[in-house]
Amino acid sequence: VYRRFAISCIFALCALPVAARTRPHYGGTLHVEIEGDPWQRPNGIARRLVFDGLTALDASGVAQSALATGWESDNADHRWQFHLRPGVYFHDGSPLTSTAVVQALNLDCPANCPWASVHAVGSTVVFSGDSPMPNLPALLAGDEFLIAHTLTTDGKMPSPNIGTGPFQLTSFNNGVLALAANEICWQGRPFTDAVEIRVHRAVHDQWLDLSIGRADVVEVPVEMVRQAQLQRLTVLVSPPALLLALQVTDSGALASPMLRAAIAASIDRRALANVIFQKQGEATASLLPQSLTGFAFLFPVDRDLNKAHELRGGLNAPSLTLSEDGDGAMRLAAQRIALNLKEAGFNAQEVNAGGAQRTDLMLRTIPLEGGEAGAVLESVSRSVDTAAIAADSSLPSVYKAERNFLDRHTLIPLVDLPRAYATGARVRDLGLDANGIPELASASVEDTP
Amino acid sequence: VSLRQRLLLLFSLTVAAAVAAVAWTVLVRIRHVFELRDQEETSLFVSQFQREFQHRSAEVAGAVDRLSTSERTRGMAFEIVQSGDASPYLTEAKTLAEDAQLDFLEIVGPDGNVVSSAQWPARFGYPEPAVTRAGEAAFLKREDLPDGSSPLGLFAVRPIRGAEPAVRLIGGKRLDQNFLGDLSVAPGMQLALYSERQSSADANKVPGAAQNSSASFEAMQLVGTNGDVPGGADHYKALIEAAVKTGQQMSGIVYLTARREDSLSATAIPLKNETGRVLAVLIVALSREGMVEAQQQIRAIAYGVASAGTLLAIVCSLWIAARVSRPIELLAHAAEEVASGNWDVRVPERGHDEVSVLARSFNHMTERLASQREQLVQSERVAAWRELARRLAHELKNPLFPLQLTVENLVRARALSTEEFDEVFRESTATLGMEIANLKTIIGRFSDFSKMPKPELERIDAKDVIERVRSLYEGAASREAKIDFEMEIAGQPMPMMADPELLHRALSNLVLNAMDAMPNGGKLTVSARPQGTNIEIRVADTGEGLTQEECERLFTPYYTTKQHGTGLGLAIVQSVVADHGGTIAVESRTGSGATFIITLPRSSA
Repeated sequence: VYRRFAISCIFALCALPVAARTRPHYGGTLHVEIEGDPWQRPNGIARRLVFDGLTALDASGVAQSALATGWESDNADHRWQFHLRPGVYFHDGSPLTSTAVVQALNLDCPANCPWASVHAVGSTVVFSGDSPMPNLPALLAGDEFLIAHTLTTDGKMPSPNIGTGPFQLTSFNNGVLALAANEICWQGRPFTDAVEIRVHRAVHDQWLDLSIGRADVVEVPVEMVRQAQLQRLTVLVSPPALLLALQVTDSGALASPMLRAAIAASIDRRALANVIFQKQGEATASLLPQSLTGFAFLFPVDRDLNKAHELRGGLNAPSLTLSEDGDGAMRLAAQRIALNLKEAGFNAQEVNAGGAQRTDLMLRTIPLEGGEAGAVLESVSRSVDTAAIAADSSLPSVYKAERNFLDRHTLIPLVDLPRAYATGARVRDLGLDANGIPELASASVEDTP
Repeated sequence: VSLRQRLLLLFSLTVAAAVAAVAWTVLVRIRHVFELRDQEETSLFVSQFQREFQHRSAEVAGAVDRLSTSERTRGMAFEIVQSGDASPYLTEAKTLAEDAQLDFLEIVGPDGNVVSSAQWPARFGYPEPAVTRAGEAAFLKREDLPDGSSPLGLFAVRPIRGAEPAVRLIGGKRLDQNFLGDLSVAPGMQLALYSERQSSADANKVPGAAQNSSASFEAMQLVGTNGDVPGGADHYKALIEAAVKTGQQMSGIVYLTARREDSLSATAIPLKNETGRVLAVLIVALSREGMVEAQQQIRAIAYGVASAGTLLAIVCSLWIAARVSRPIELLAHAAEEVASGNWDVRVPERGHDEVSVLARSFNHMTERLASQREQLVQSERVAAWRELARRLAHELKNPLFPLQLTVENLVRARALSTEEFDEVFRESTATLGMEIANLKTIIGRFSDFSKMPKPELERIDAKDVIERVRSLYEGAASREAKIDFEMEIAGQPMPMMADPELLHRALSNLVLNAMDAMPNGGKLTVSARPQGTNIEIRVADTGEGLTQEECERLFTPYYTTKQHGTGLGLAIVQSVVADHGGTIAVESRTGSGATFIITLPRSSA
């Protein structure tokens, strides 16, 4: 017995350092580098650190309580009432109130909102809609409905970017956004004392900084995931979080749905997924990922050039303009689509949209937000101005709503894409949320020797 | 035009023509030499450029060669062949192209489809026909790009060593103004590239009618090393179109402005693809400014020398003409003096040339003429004295003989009685008186001839004078001598400046002479008519006429053919006519009468 006890003690002593190393460590600064804007909508990396939503999605995409502790609907989902969490304060010390939430939501969503009106009732926020809003809790977890402090105090506008999140903004100097831990965060203090986000940093420079320890978390574009893995970087890849889709105008030269269908049939989705996105994406003709619904295969992915010609019916389509909302792989994908369309008899010229000018075709990535199928469908469809809302949350209803939406051919799904990040050796417990965004608040860093 | 001016003109024209001929020959030769030099220089530069172009072609081929043998591409080809998955190498071509400094690079898989394209990354999976030209030298090809353009490039295809089936590389450099700018060319050489606006599909068509019909010049398609071409693209249009049309290298001079020095010796080199279609035209141009300026300088010098030579020639001609013409002018002047009666004039005799011989002969001639004139005058004077002596002797002898007889009768009559003596005395004194009167008459005639008055000119009509003579003698002629007096007077007025009395006297002498020449009657005709600027008066008879000798001596004073004439009548007529500025002549043949012709100047109306 003693012998066994002694051996057990030896194993236990050996395991102690291991356990100590895996235990979250408070303190330290997490260095993050990104290529874009940390405040950009949607899914700017700083937004989730500074702001919270009324709800939040868990890893499986189910809406969980956040600033709202609970909610209930009545009148067949036409009215929703959310109860605010008490004792929550903005970074400037002002309390979170239902009025502040209503003000923030009205600023977040001036038009085309899932609801018709929102107002404060005591410590609750009440949403009313002209149509049922079955997906409202999941939608409120989305990036676009995060709550910022916008109420004026004594006639003064508060500083921008004040939220209730685990980090608060301290400075922005020399391209480095400095965030400090929010000691009074309702979720509890984050492990790290600070997060420094270096913005507008080229990917290769990010990787270089990661390799020399100047960065802890860097971006990995989808098309470079394999390259990053070959370089033995620690890469975190999310499930499908973005939908690469071609938004097609339904007016002007493409007013005919047949022409839009011809465009959909002429695109080689597999080439986009397998070559341009290096097999990290999944070719799809469905708005919702196969992993979410299981019926995505019902929408044919393969290119059918004959069908495209047939649908075009010999019509000479005028020159089309094509733009993309990114560069690198997005531009390459746009060029590939233009090449595919040329084979189908369309003359698509890639242009730099450069702002408000709307092009005939626009290649864009749409976040697959919402968690549940119906919410994701509504979120995605709402991004092209026309919401597709399933009658209920059942898959047949969602399929029907999606089929009806896709038959308009105003949004042609192409590839489901993940988000990916690479982490340094001293980062611990970093995961990606349901939208593929790093959960920096739950990560910790080891002290460097 | 004087002789001197003629000589001067002749000399100047001769020299100017000679100088012009020499200058023209020199200029033609200079132009020929410069054109030859221009052509040689241009062809030298074109050859140099073609060598440089070939060198750049070899560089492209070498760059692709090096890529095809590199470890990196060989490993890539091995992976592609082994795994069958080419997607990891989507951006490989761009990286390789940047490393190899190529503008175009495509990796083509074993299936002939593009694996990776540096210039059009989205073209993966599409076939590339040019892979069949693997191993060949660099060639020209149009490459379609995503923006719709189809730039021209210099390409080479090489299989990646060690991969089986073959993975190939198609690399190239863009033929644009940067390419031209990188070429090392001779100073002064300018390059430009004309690319026809066409796609690669158009470029691969077989050349022929399609090319000719579509060959419309677009100025925007001609670019130089700095973007623009000197002088503007339109100046090269004809040369480019000719090169495109014929497919042959064309050369010519391009004038950028009206100034000759703003011109270029340009050569258009057509660049063709494997089907022979002209894809682009390279313009190799060389400024002619220096050459034209040198040519103009030489021409200016030639013109200056020619002008100076001509001027000098004119001056020399002037001197020579003066030297040659001066003695002749002196001779001419002296001849005029001689003609005017001054036989004492002499011309200087200098040198031993023909002109001096002529001057010497002239002087000798005038000396001889003066000498002969003196002799003639002396002879004439002697003859006149002799004639005068003879006439005086003859005239005086006739009265003297009766005077001698009468005086002898008086001497013999002293022996007679007083009555007889008185009778003889009376008869003798009467005879003496008559004969002395006769002597006075003779002496008076001689005295009258010596005292011929100067004419007092007044404006008269010749008709009036003739009419006066007719009225005086017509009656006597017809009554006493049975002579028909006829008048033939022109109808128009015949004004003249003359002394009417002297003219009447002269005409009367002629009429009386004519009446004397027809003792047995005949016909006397007096006629007058205008003759140019003169008035011609004729007095003709039908008498015995005159011999040739008589005609020649008829106007000599004291010469007469009549038994009792003094020989002064016709001399007086000649004197009167001469004093009026006219002439008198006689026409006669023996037995056919004689006609005296007086010509007097006609007065203006």
